[in-house]
Amino acid sequence: MASEAPKAEALNVVGQPVKLRDLKKHVGGQTSYCDDLRFPRMLHLKMHRSVQPHAKLLAVDTAAAARSEGVVRVLTHADLPGGELWSGLATVGGAGDEPVLASDKVRWKGEAIAAVVARTPEQAEAAAAKVKVRYEPLPAVFDVEEALAAGAPNLIAHWPGNHYIFGDDHAAAQIRLGDVEKALAEADRVVENVYQTSPIEQAPLETIGCVAVPDGDGRYTVHTGSQSLSSTLKSVAAYLGLPANRLRFVSGSVGGGFGGKADLAVEVTATLAAIKTGRPVKYRYTREEEMFASSTRAAWRVYIKDGVMNDGRIVARKVTTYHDSGAYLRMSNYGAMKHSTHWPGPYTVANVWVDVYCVFTNRTPSGAMRGFGIMPASFAIEVQMDRVAKAIGMDPWRLRLLNAYRNGDMRGHHRAVKDAAMIETIQATAKLSEQNLTGDLQSLSSWRQKAG
Amino acid sequence: MTAKILSLNVNGRDETILCDGLTTLQEVLRDQLGLLTSVKDGCTQGGCGSCSVLVDGELWLSCLAPVAALAGRAVMTLEGLKQSAGIAAIQQSFIDNSAAQCGFCTPGMILTVKALLDANPEPSHDEILEALSGNLCRCTGYLPIVEAVKDAAARLSGGADAARASEGREG
Amino acid sequence: MAEYLLPDSLSEATEIIAEHGRALAIVAGGTSAMRCGTCRGKHGRGILCLECPGPRLVSVPNAAFVMGIQRLGLDGVAPANGGLGFGAGLSLSRLQASAPIPALRAAARQVGGPALRNMATVGGNIFERQPYGDVAVVLLALDASLTFAERDGERSQTLAAFYADGAKQGGLLTRIDCAAPDGEVVFLKCGRRRFNSPTVVTVAVCIALDGGKVRRARIALGGAGAHPMRCAAAEELLIGAALDPTSIAAAAAAAADACDPATDVVASEWYRRRMVATYVRRALGEIEQGS
Ligand SMILES: Cc1cc2nc3c(=O)[nH]c(=O)nc-3n(C[C@H](O)[C@H](O)[C@H](O)COP(=O)(O)OP(=O)(O)OC[C@H]3O[C@@H](n4cnc5c(N)ncnc54)[C@H](O)[C@@H]3O)c2cc1C
Repeated sequence: MASEAPKAEALNVVGQPVKLRDLKKHVGGQTSYCDDLRFPRMLHLKMHRSVQPHAKLLAVDTAAAARSEGVVRVLTHADLPGGELWSGLATVGGAGDEPVLASDKVRWKGEAIAAVVARTPEQAEAAAAKVKVRYEPLPAVFDVEEALAAGAPNLIAHWPGNHYIFGDDHAAAQIRLGDVEKALAEADRVVENVYQTSPIEQAPLETIGCVAVPDGDGRYTVHTGSQSLSSTLKSVAAYLGLPANRLRFVSGSVGGGFGGKADLAVEVTATLAAIKTGRPVKYRYTREEEMFASSTRAAWRVYIKDGVMNDGRIVARKVTTYHDSGAYLRMSNYGAMKHSTHWPGPYTVANVWVDVYCVFTNRTPSGAMRGFGIMPASFAIEVQMDRVAKAIGMDPWRLRLLNAYRNGDMRGHHRAVKDAAMIETIQATAKLSEQNLTGDLQSLSSWRQKAG
Repeated sequence: MTAKILSLNVNGRDETILCDGLTTLQEVLRDQLGLLTSVKDGCTQGGCGSCSVLVDGELWLSCLAPVAALAGRAVMTLEGLKQSAGIAAIQQSFIDNSAAQCGFCTPGMILTVKALLDANPEPSHDEILEALSGNLCRCTGYLPIVEAVKDAAARLSGGADAARASEGREG
Repeated sequence: MAEYLLPDSLSEATEIIAEHGRALAIVAGGTSAMRCGTCRGKHGRGILCLECPGPRLVSVPNAAFVMGIQRLGLDGVAPANGGLGFGAGLSLSRLQASAPIPALRAAARQVGGPALRNMATVGGNIFERQPYGDVAVVLLALDASLTFAERDGERSQTLAAFYADGAKQGGLLTRIDCAAPDGEVVFLKCGRRRFNSPTVVTVAVCIALDGGKVRRARIALGGAGAHPMRCAAAEELLIGAALDPTSIAAAAAAAADACDPATDVVASEWYRRRMVATYVRRALGEIEQGS
């Protein structure tokens, strides 16, 4: 283990200013994004979406849409070659649960039902509005704990309790360190709180989009703004039943992603449309679709129960988190795993117990956004630290420094801490914000034995 | 027949375009006129500023402008401004201050700064914030952008010395 | 597809209106009328669209004819009878640069960003859906009147009567006039950020004082009902009273009581009502401080 930070002068990139390579193109307006691509005979795809949050599909009538001006093709579930359930992580081991186009049921308001391919975007939109859907509304559930309660309407047969099942048949992603119940019983105080975050749309300036182009030899080139190029290629191949070598995915400059372009969103349908029409097909979300229909940062509900000693040591942290996955899994299980391993935060707590549930509700499916799973944990942890400090009447700077993790400490998921810098960061922050730390706090270090 | 053919001056050339009453300037620039794709499509609702252009030197949102109303007027996009006074200094300031990340908002930002500095060569900090208030940068790189505007203003008002300094930095 | 008509004279314009009636939409700056993205309001169920389901004052998207007003010479500032006069086609950036009353310049300056103001017109602002119409709120506090061009002449109506009448569309607004204000005018906007903010509420007050007592009071609110509105209850409380913290608090409370704001993505009814009280108090307070 390094005992000293490396010297910045010895490094070529770290600590040195580095210019973005594409700046010159950006300022000249010459950077080309997916939306700027044009191909001869290119068609445009627009989607008819569910207006119900949970309903059986009794009938999808596309006749009027198909007759509409400029329409070349209408696609529904029946046009998919089978194996039509997908999820973002299906190709790396997750279970597929989401149809590309709804078949028997819709599970969120905005779910894709029928795709219309036409010569112009306006013609495609006008025709998509003519698709007629007959629904039989089903009871819907919009709250994570209501969804888990007995008697809640089940969204997906595959997920009987409305929650994802983690390896070894666990309902939740679990972290277990020490004996939390015993430590809670022995603590001077117990501080219990609940934290809730709201969904957030990543809102990149360039909306989600791609263009799928037939190469003429049975292969397809897909230009996409996706953040997950290779897993998207694999997913499209899997769900369209194509060998991967029939697909070529081309990325380029992306007009902002922030996690919002990590999910599989447009590529399967656009490629299917290119196969069916033999022409290049562009499928780009409108701003409204970006806001209402693309994956958001999830809503998370976090229950924390801390065991605290009067001298400021946190001896137990028991956490139950409900991650609102929305109607389908997408990458939620991955976000929940990241969330679980973040506990107990940048602090050392000897007894940690964490359960993280991925819960299915009739809300817009959620996905990645900057610090996937981490942000809600950090939000809950730091507000909780202030509340703990208040409960025991201690300065919150002192509480954080006393509990900050150091190199060699054990994390909740049984990994020893390496390269900690929490104490030094707090000390530097205190200096910049003119906060006077007492001598004992100033002498703390991530590299030395724990004081006190 | 509701579609009309009319003549529009774009980047110094008279162009013939086809439009109806609700065709926007943005659609014509991006799709009819040889792909002037520095004009971006971010929201189609006037909310993001990435489709900004100059109409007779005034900053406009091309996504909200009915193109049929613009017959006889002069439209400039970033593509057409290459030779224009001050544009090189603004662009260089954006580069030197790393005032672009994904780049999608950048052409609109540069046109906005051009319009600002043409009207007000020495804007205050607040005037810069106000001038940029219609342009969203979702990578949230606003601080370097504001620095770039100040830098560009200094280069342009500093005359020959500053211009030489900015050329030196270009290399 | 809509046909674009760009008349060169008012008589031509009024002919066009008479001929096409409801099939015609007038587009000035287009900053509100064109805000339909690719849909142009033609959507049915199943398409996500911010514009289609909402109530619009006029359905531009379904119009078969669109009429521009750029060549009608309506973009001037033309004072009449010693008062203030503005062409309906005057852009908000020109209003911001040239209006003789600071409150009008302030209201213009707070509409959107600079590019929007270069396009948006004063006339368009009068017809704007709530909570927008920032400039209209000042004009209401100035007791402005509207002039519409018709085939057989002109028709005038006060702005207050126009809104009381449901802001009916159809006619061609040519100018907006008001007498020079005989008192202090203050405009305040409650927004979500400092520049280019959607409107939570707007308040414009015009107060004439006489020997320390309020001789005339006009209080106009935006974002507080279906249209910009005058607040008679608050005005009556002030008239004859001294402008002091007590009368100001009473007027603010009366305004909050009388208004009927909506809940939308910008703010809730609850929050708007409180902001009406706060901003009426602040606006009147500015006049009290200055007197
Ligand atoms: C991003 C954004 C931000 C905005 N922010 C604000 C804000 O902060 N405050 C605010 O008040 N508004 C705001 N608006 C709304 C709008 O831009 C302004 O209200 C503007 O003044 C409308 O004027 P216009 O000329 O563009 O109207 P148009 O869009 O051309 O027309 C609007 C309506 O008025 C009618 N109309 C226009 N002129 C006439 C006329 N002469 N005779 C008869 N009918 C007419 C049209 O038929 C149409 O129904 C915003 C809009 C956008 C897109």
